[in-house]
Amino acid sequence: MPGATLSRWTMSYFAIACLMLLTAQGLMAAGYGYPAASIGAPETLVVVHVTVIGWLSLLMGGALLQFVPVLVARPLVGGRFAAPALVLLAGGLAALVAGFVALSGSLDLPLFLLPLGGGMLLAGFGLLAGVLAATLRTARPLPLPARFVAAGLVCLLAAVLVGAAFTAGLSGLDESAPLARLLADGVPLHAALGLGGWLSITAVGVSYRLLAMFLLAPETDRRTSRAAWWAMVLAAGLVALCVVLVLFAVSGVDVLFTAALVLSLAAVALYGGDVRHIYRSRKRKQAELNIRATFPAFSALGLSLVLLNIPAVRGGEGVAAAVYLFVFGWLTGLGLAQLFKIVAFLTWLEAYGPILGRMPVPRVQDLVEERHARILFGVYYAACAAAALALLAGAPGMFRGLVALQLLATLALAREFIRTRRLAVVPAALRAPAGMVQPHLFLPLSASRR
Amino acid sequence: MPDVSTETAPKVLDVRPILQNGGEPFQEIMQAVTTLAPGQGLKLVAPFRPQPLFQVMEGRGFDHEAREIGNGHWEVLFTPRADVAPVETSADADSPETWPDPSLHLDLSDLDPPEPMVRILAAAEELEAGKVLFAVLSREPIFLFPELSKRGHQWAGNFDETGTAYRILVRVGRPKA
Repeated sequence: MPGATLSRWTMSYFAIACLMLLTAQGLMAAGYGYPAASIGAPETLVVVHVTVIGWLSLLMGGALLQFVPVLVARPLVGGRFAAPALVLLAGGLAALVAGFVALSGSLDLPLFLLPLGGGMLLAGFGLLAGVLAATLRTARPLPLPARFVAAGLVCLLAAVLVGAAFTAGLSGLDESAPLARLLADGVPLHAALGLGGWLSITAVGVSYRLLAMFLLAPETDRRTSRAAWWAMVLAAGLVALCVVLVLFAVSGVDVLFTAALVLSLAAVALYGGDVRHIYRSRKRKQAELNIRATFPAFSALGLSLVLLNIPAVRGGEGVAAAVYLFVFGWLTGLGLAQLFKIVAFLTWLEAYGPILGRMPVPRVQDLVEERHARILFGVYYAACAAAALALLAGAPGMFRGLVALQLLATLALAREFIRTRRLAVVPAALRAPAGMVQPHLFLPLSASRR
Repeated sequence: MPDVSTETAPKVLDVRPILQNGGEPFQEIMQAVTTLAPGQGLKLVAPFRPQPLFQVMEGRGFDHEAREIGNGHWEVLFTPRADVAPVETSADADSPETWPDPSLHLDLSDLDPPEPMVRILAAAEELEAGKVLFAVLSREPIFLFPELSKRGHQWAGNFDETGTAYRILVRVGRPKA
């Protein structure tokens, strides 16, 4: 039967994700990792993986558990594996980070933690991707947004496989020549598959549907959207091919990787045109904050990809600034802006779903305070842009100060999410009509409301 | 025209033997319709022009083309309209074409989600069990479906030809304990 219900573990994914974002920003503000350490130092790897696995991937995982059923109008298949996947991912990240700390030499920990973490992450992401893929399988032929998600899942597995291979090499478990070559030349490929392939292709796909939904725009299957899909899939395929070339010491990696970046830029241009089209064909006059707060993220996506396409930036220290803008401007900005709406909507449905139509209930917008959040998003993006500039200008002290400001804005946004979960913003008279369900902060829904 | 749009060969069902034996072919026909592949047509052979069936099949998104094949027997080709999304129904909504005419019509196409969901659930609370309401929305109400089923209501819905309006019929049920 068609339809989607509330995903049981999504809020738990979101809660851990937000904690990891705060942790990563806290570490950077404290001066841990780049730019105090080098870009490939174990300390930098700690910050990068707490951000990309802990924050972005758990955020995306939790969101997909809820929204893949919405994309395909079919219930989630194998939802019982969502919790074990979360345990494996959180545990795997902890082991991986401990392994990096061991590598940095600041604590005497066994290097075996690295492949242990790699293996657990492989299992956790495999389980998550399996649940989502099984759900997508029930809805073939896939609508276009779901095809983006499918491509993203393939990239996720590729990125995690390369990452797991890295942990085997770094820990000394495997000292073969192909793996040594992959360790030497494969880091940009691993990053491109994770940040570009998994997180960005998936985010683009989901956004096609969500933007149309939130803006009340008609959902039309546009040629440009299909072209964007092809360009992204081709770019990801080229990067995957690069991995194979590196393993077998075949030349041509640079050319292919450059081609993949050019294709990505073209894809982003097509996507930008589609977003503009959806926005212009909207029926809702005033876009809500979650949409308006996404615009700076789109700009960050475009700008960072332009920067990455400039060889001098890509090859030099500028790459850190471009990647920072990509991760914190584009992916994190988009994530925080959509969380603002998603948390409110899911909380509303959980709390008031059983009594809808039977008595007056608050509206979804009564669960949030847009005025506060608008200022916070402004501070967040301004601090993020300035922090990227500070990296570009080589001003580490300034960078730390700006990340601290970004951290404060994120903390305040997290407080807004908690207030939404607690229904603290809702006018008292409407807050708790008889029969409503008081949502837990982040623990899963009770079984009866699944 | 309909022949060309059908990629798979139509399923053939000859109901003349059933009728000869004094049977009632309606169930058999509906059974055949549910087993059709997406895009597949149904070729029906009957000893008369099955006029009442045309409307039922129309409601299920099928065009028809009828021709007399001699002796007063008829052959009808039902072809799924390519431009109409298939009708989705709740698990317990066996044959929406037999539901009474809607006693309430709601145009919710200009409302922001999730307001249409709230309105439909509220309207269903007001109607007696067995009554039907009809609503037009601007998109598929994915989260409404399970809530309707949970409250014991049956529903059937699909997108219109343009894909911009979602039509839904809700037959109000008795609340489940």
